[in-house]
Parts: sequence; structure tokens; C-alpha cells
Amino acid sequence: MEIVDTLQDGVVILELRGRLDTTNYSFLEEKIMKLIDDNRIHLLVDCTDLSYISSSGLRIMLMGLKKVNSVKGRFVLCCLQENIREIFEISGFTSIFSIFATRQEAMKQF
Amino acid sequence: MAQWIHDKDPRSPNIERLLQDVPKCPGVCLFIDIVDSTWIKYREPFTKWGQKLNNTFNFISLLNDFPDNIVKGIGDEIMLYIPENVLHQKTTFRTCFALLEEIYATLDNIKNFPVDGLFLPCKVAIHYCTEAYNVTFLEGYNDYYGKDIDLSARLMSKAKPYRIVLSEKFYQKVQEDIATENIQKEQGCLKFITEKYIEDFKGVPRPVEYRVIQV
Repeated sequence: MEIVDTLQDGVVILELRGRLDTTNYSFLEEKIMKLIDDNRIHLLVDCTDLSYISSSGLRIMLMGLKKVNSVKGRFVLCCLQENIREIFEISGFTSIFSIFATRQEAMKQF
Repeated sequence: MAQWIHDKDPRSPNIERLLQDVPKCPGVCLFIDIVDSTWIKYREPFTKWGQKLNNTFNFISLLNDFPDNIVKGIGDEIMLYIPENVLHQKTTFRTCFALLEEIYATLDNIKNFPVDGLFLPCKVAIHYCTEAYNVTFLEGYNDYYGKDIDLSARLMSKAKPYRIVLSEKFYQKVQEDIATENIQKEQGCLKFITEKYIEDFKGVPRPVEYRVIQV
């Protein structure tokens, strides 16, 4: 998996590319922890090119949400592919995450 | 699909011949159980309890690419068997290490889910089986028999809510994966694993070695 991060209007946009699973979740975990340590607490995760997410990946998403909420930041997701959305629905994650269809809509939340 | 072992004659030598030719089917046996579900059934209406059971089993099996590996469901417990050759063909988890990580993550997600009342707590037992056979004595069913299948079930007696009990044989397979895949030992849930326990289990003629990961 590749993580591309850019800063836009005080929001860090994390583009996830490929599969997020056991083999690589720790990279995302480290990235999110580092951002929060650097006081970058508004995060938008763009899932346009995320092709798969496993339980390990969901766990890191949940950890990110909780960490960011605890420092009064925002953790928002956008552009989920159909299979990713289905996994979020099955796991009940759609009820706890702010998820938007486009990056533009998501940026309005910050 | 399991090989059907059947003969109407109780004294038929065919059965022995059939069984002698059945190959061993090494793989991972998993038991996943909903904790305190009997108590929950008496406390909540069937509809509420059933909904939570649906949510929890969805979370466990669909999310982890398990549906094809469920051998049987007995009440609130499911037994899964993943033959080694099938495990290596999986994409979510191709190794015992990855499988353990995914199960840990699943229990952690259920435990830390921010909304109450959607899921039920679970406990898990995992064993790597070498003495297992893909046979059935009932036509049309898939099943696995063998000493190691029994041992997997016995391990469940040590499981508690949000606890994974893994046999030493499974742990050794995880260690092999760590060496083969060049994984850092501190990575993931293994940092929470206990030392080895050695205990006698009912019906097992030798002491059983196992470890525990508490989520």
C-alpha cells in the first residue's frame, strides 16, 4: 500500500492506494500517530484508490478516529469504492465515521 | 468437500479400507464462540439477541473472508477449518501470522466499537492440525475429524471474553511465518502473548501446550 499525504487549508489529506491489511497497517498507524504528535489533527482519508481493507485496517481507522477525537480534531473519510463501503457497512463503521462521496464535500466538514 | 464414509453393513471390511486411504488434511482449526449468550437469551428478546448474533457473525466471517471455511455452527459457536493449501491461496491472510493478526483486530474492533449494543463479545481458540481428515459420515456434509480437531475444541475451555487461546503448534507456525516473511517480532498482537502454559486436558492423554492473547 502507498500513502500519499498533502496539506490543504490546514487539513492533511491521506490518499491510500492499494490494499490495507496485516502486511502494512502499521505504516498507516505510524503515519497517523506522527501527524497527531505534530498537532495535525484534521485528517481526511481519501479512499479513491483503496482496493481492500481488512480487520487490521479497520482497527487502525478506528484508532485514528478515537485519537483525533480525543484532541478535538476531525477524522473524515471520502470516496469509498463499493467493496470498501460494503465492509464499512457490515462492520457498522458507517455509523461511526463521517463518510462523503467526494473530496470537495468532505473538505467542507473542516 | 469431505469424503463420505459409508457402508450399510456394520461388519463390512470396506469401511476400514476406505478409511486407510483417506489422506491427512493439515490446516488451521478455529472455534469462535459468543460469550454468555445463554444468559443474554434469557435477558433479551429473541429478535434483539438474533440481531446481535447476525452482526457479530457477519463481522467475524464476512470481514475475514471466512464464509467458505465454516464447517459448522453449533448454537452460538462456529467451527472453521482452513486447510493449509487453502490458507496459502487466501488474499486477506496467507499465513498463520496474518490470520492471527486479523482475528486479533476483529476482537479488538468489537471490544472497542464506540456504539454499545450492536455486537456480542467473543472468544477464540486456534490450533494447527496435522491429525485431521476431511471426511463425513453423513451424506452431503462437509466435516473434519481427528485428534487435533478434538484438541482445538478442548482449547476453548481456556478462552474468556476477548481472549485468543492458541496451541503451541499454531504458535510455532506463526514463528515460522515471522522468520520466512521477515516480520519484526514486536509487530502486532504478539507483543501481548503470554508465556507457554502446559496443562492436562480432559480426554487428551498428554499435556497440552498453549498460549493466550488477551485483547
